[in-house]
Amino acid sequence: MQKILWLFAFITSWTFAQVNVVTTYTYLGEIAKAIGGNDVNVKVLASPKLDPHFIIPKPSLIPTLSRADMLVANGAGLEIGWLPPLLKNANNPKIAIGSQGFVDASQTIILIDKPVSVSRAYGDIHPEGNPHFSTDPHNIVPIARMIANKLSNLDPQHQSAYQNRLANFTTQWNAFLMQFDNKIHSCKGKKVVQYHQLYNYLLKRYNIQAVATIEPLPGIAPSSKHIMEVIDTMQQQHVHTILQDPYHEKKTASFIASKTGAIVKVIPHDVGNIEGTDSLKTFYKTIADRLCQ
Amino acid sequence: MIKKIIGLSFAASATLFAQSDLEQLKTQLAQQQRIIAALQQRVEELETKQTSASAAATANVQTPTSTFDQKSFLPDIALILNGSAVGRNVDNSTYESYFIPGFSEFDPEEESEIPYNKNRGFNFNYAELAMHSTIGPYFDADAVFHLHPDEFEIEEAYITSRALPYGLRAKAGKFLSEFGRINSIHQHAWDFTSQPLAYEAIFGAEGLNDAGAQLQWVLPTDTYLMAGFEALQGSNDVSFGNIEKNNLYVGYLKAGADITDNTTLLSGLSIAHGKNEEGLDTNVYGADLTFKMMLDSYSSLAWQSELLYRDKDTSEGDHDQAGYYTQLVYDYNQNWATGIRYERLYKNLVDEPNDLERTSAMLEYKPFEFSKFRLQYAYDRSKIFGDERKNISEILLDFTIEAGAHGAHAF
Ligand SMILES: [Zn+2]
Repeated sequence: MQKILWLFAFITSWTFAQVNVVTTYTYLGEIAKAIGGNDVNVKVLASPKLDPHFIIPKPSLIPTLSRADMLVANGAGLEIGWLPPLLKNANNPKIAIGSQGFVDASQTIILIDKPVSVSRAYGDIHPEGNPHFSTDPHNIVPIARMIANKLSNLDPQHQSAYQNRLANFTTQWNAFLMQFDNKIHSCKGKKVVQYHQLYNYLLKRYNIQAVATIEPLPGIAPSSKHIMEVIDTMQQQHVHTILQDPYHEKKTASFIASKTGAIVKVIPHDVGNIEGTDSLKTFYKTIADRLCQ
Repeated sequence: MIKKIIGLSFAASATLFAQSDLEQLKTQLAQQQRIIAALQQRVEELETKQTSASAAATANVQTPTSTFDQKSFLPDIALILNGSAVGRNVDNSTYESYFIPGFSEFDPEEESEIPYNKNRGFNFNYAELAMHSTIGPYFDADAVFHLHPDEFEIEEAYITSRALPYGLRAKAGKFLSEFGRINSIHQHAWDFTSQPLAYEAIFGAEGLNDAGAQLQWVLPTDTYLMAGFEALQGSNDVSFGNIEKNNLYVGYLKAGADITDNTTLLSGLSIAHGKNEEGLDTNVYGADLTFKMMLDSYSSLAWQSELLYRDKDTSEGDHDQAGYYTQLVYDYNQNWATGIRYERLYKNLVDEPNDLERTSAMLEYKPFEFSKFRLQYAYDRSKIFGDERKNISEILLDFTIEAGAHGAHAF
């Protein structure tokens, strides 16, 4: 009897193909894997080693998009510099913007830092608001819920499996958040400087004040004049922490650190940015550990 | 309508040109941030005050003036400006009369067709107005207008399918053919300011740009494979030009793969088959290869080469001619790039010199993503003036700005 069941399971798994899910960034890929389990096949487009604003639209990414049943994007304009030409060339109406297979994670988030007026005179600003919400672990469950619902619509046969995995994931994640919150609340140093406005969601939630950015305007390389101002501000306000992303040059941060005695902390902004951050939990654990070092 | 849009875009671009003092901007930004913070606090206060009853009431309030508002359906509009300062060892009236021996001729009756950087001294090359809009669930529409100081030109205007299955996409209208690597890329996105010699010699200054239809298919394979077919009118009179009926067919196959995590290859084979002005056959074959090595997020090294081969039947006999370019471009960071290019033509005619070549070097500075200055030097041994061959030394500084909603460039 059991043999027949196994055989049946084998045949069904073979006849009902997995849903091809493509995500732009690795953290979204990890959420999709957690919710989709064996019912989905997840591929990630962007290398976590690169600046998320500037992924090179390699032709090798086109066939992946071309065969996708679902595309999960960060949204809020983060992919605007590289995803549109790939989407256009993939010729896949199933994942076109606005279609059932297109998931915009930013729609589950209340975006912060929305500029009052939009002009490129202010640099490479994000007109819809800050898209770097991946640094706050409290944003994970809403995205997981959205992915579960979209998968349930797309693949109703496995709806209960998706919803069960979502329930399990939520329970586990809430337990993890308790630890994470405790850890961050315990850490001292409530003022920081960052390179780009990459950690604002995290900082805002835990009342850590971002005093300045190393880049004078978004997407503009730091000038010596601006660096001197940052040093002044840090000395006046007694800031001892510089949050450095893994992809920008680190010379400026070390220079500022040498002038102010501050510590440079490389904080990942996505799963797989730096070594030892291959899963959602190790990624956020690394953030907490390094922030509270 | 168009005039209005142009006016608007100029106004928008003017703000871009305005003396932008970083200091002033920073204080403005800081001011903005303070305003945002204040607004956020206010919003939070209001949110807490707002009871569920009032929420239900406000949900039904609508501003009646916005009922028929169509602003959100406006197309994406981009304005691109390009101009240059040129130093050259040939004076302007002589330069206008140049031709490439074995490929083109100079006709003093006709106006010269040098589209970019014609003058020694200053050139305003063009203002390009590009619009993109989604027309319902099935089509996108695109239009690119080229405005020269004394000419309005529809560079491209076409519709593209959005909903075809099986990896198919169709296009119809007037468009740049995707023959080869560089033909479909607009001048402002080229790595060098001048069009490759092989393209100028075989397709003319405008490239292969024609009315017709296109079908592309992304094959369901793990590596990128794309097959394309185009049926065109054949109005390009450099190699084709017989337009008694639609006479030009273009086909191509493109393949792309990652060699390592950081190295990507893109290659293509193309063919264009049509009838020339004498009613005889012309076939053009193209092969291209691009290697790109990504060094980090902002730095890369790209080697790109392209070979064009033309078999043109004429009443004087069969002309087999070819040309290629090979270039190396190094993107040092987001602001700086440099590159060199070597090009050569083979005209395969006995009576005139055959060492037609050009070498170019460029240095590019981008203060910001949407503005670009390029210093380019070229030594050109491919031109003849009247019956005299003269080598051209040219140095030029050009600028390109992209204002408005300009889409990201493909690989
Ligand atoms: Zn950003």
